[in-house]
Amino acid sequence: MKNMYFIILAILVILYVVHEVRKKKFSIKESFWWIIASLIMLILAIFPYSIDRLAKFLNIAYPPSLLFVLCIIFLLFINFRNSKKIAEHQEKIIELAQHVAILENELEDLRRKERGK
Amino acid sequence: MKNGKVLFVIPAYNEEENIEKVLKEIQNDANFADVIVINDCSKDNTKKIVEQNGVKCITGIFNLKYAMAVQTGIKYAYVNNYDYVIQFDADGQHIAKEAIKLLEEIKRSDSDIVIGSRYLKDTGYPCPFFRKIGTKFFAGIIQIICKKKIADPLSGFQCLNKKVIERYAQMGNYPEFPDANLVIEMLILGYKIKEIPVKMRLRENGESMHGGIIKPIKYMINMLYTIVFIIIQNPRKRAR
Repeated sequence: MKNMYFIILAILVILYVVHEVRKKKFSIKESFWWIIASLIMLILAIFPYSIDRLAKFLNIAYPPSLLFVLCIIFLLFINFRNSKKIAEHQEKIIELAQHVAILENELEDLRRKERGK
Repeated sequence: MKNGKVLFVIPAYNEEENIEKVLKEIQNDANFADVIVINDCSKDNTKKIVEQNGVKCITGIFNLKYAMAVQTGIKYAYVNNYDYVIQFDADGQHIAKEAIKLLEEIKRSDSDIVIGSRYLKDTGYPCPFFRKIGTKFFAGIIQIICKKKIADPLSGFQCLNKKVIERYAQMGNYPEFPDANLVIEMLILGYKIKEIPVKMRLRENGESMHGGIIKPIKYMINMLYTIVFIIIQNPRKRAR
């Protein structure tokens, strides 16, 4: 049972993600793709020949390379998503900071007027 | 209707065609209550129309989406010490007179949340096919998990008491779609939810936010996944 290690690894990943979400350290929404990925990992660990069959179906001569391709695609996907989100957040933070600055200025003006009265 | 400050929370996004009628209706039929419109960065004249009607309007700096707009309103209610919040839609589906029913019910019973339901009785509400299936499906899930019958967990027509306002206002992870998942979480946490039948109108202008085919499917998957984790997150309280 060589693939036993991989089954254990996949289960550990799932447990870790679930644990983090359970303790509310990780958001439910963001955990979705990690759970999907670790479930695929588990399936591939239990049925290692499925990757061979898929490779044959896709005319790939060396099946393990398919595994790498899949991994890279997943990582690229997650990475692109993250980078997109970071850009969005950055924009929003700048907008918020500018807004807060303007509000603070207005508040100060109001306070000064109040004191002047 | 003397005891308790009541706030209508109305999230609005591009609702210039409907909002005026909605506000007038509330001012006529429920004049004891305050109204706040959360203008979710509308691109049309929603803000102008709301202010012309003498209603307070909070405008976001960027689009927050429906749920976060609702939470903004609830936070406003929390900060300003309101006793009851009525979540009300800006598209004219909800009827102000029915909102009073919700309010009376929450005052009379010891419920924390009162949901206005279209399906509890046959109120003659014609319902889109997908929505009907979704509602039935999630009602079934709630029944299984919480042993409680909530016929319309997707209804945004709700009345909250102070305890719930406090809880929602302080929730860091207020869900993107606060429907069945939030109902389940609140039930697990021991809050009392009651449902009463209300009438609703059909949407007159504008588009629903649950349109199309891909969106409902995404919504279903998202909701199911979230429910699973909500159960995992609150295991001990559930056993009680």
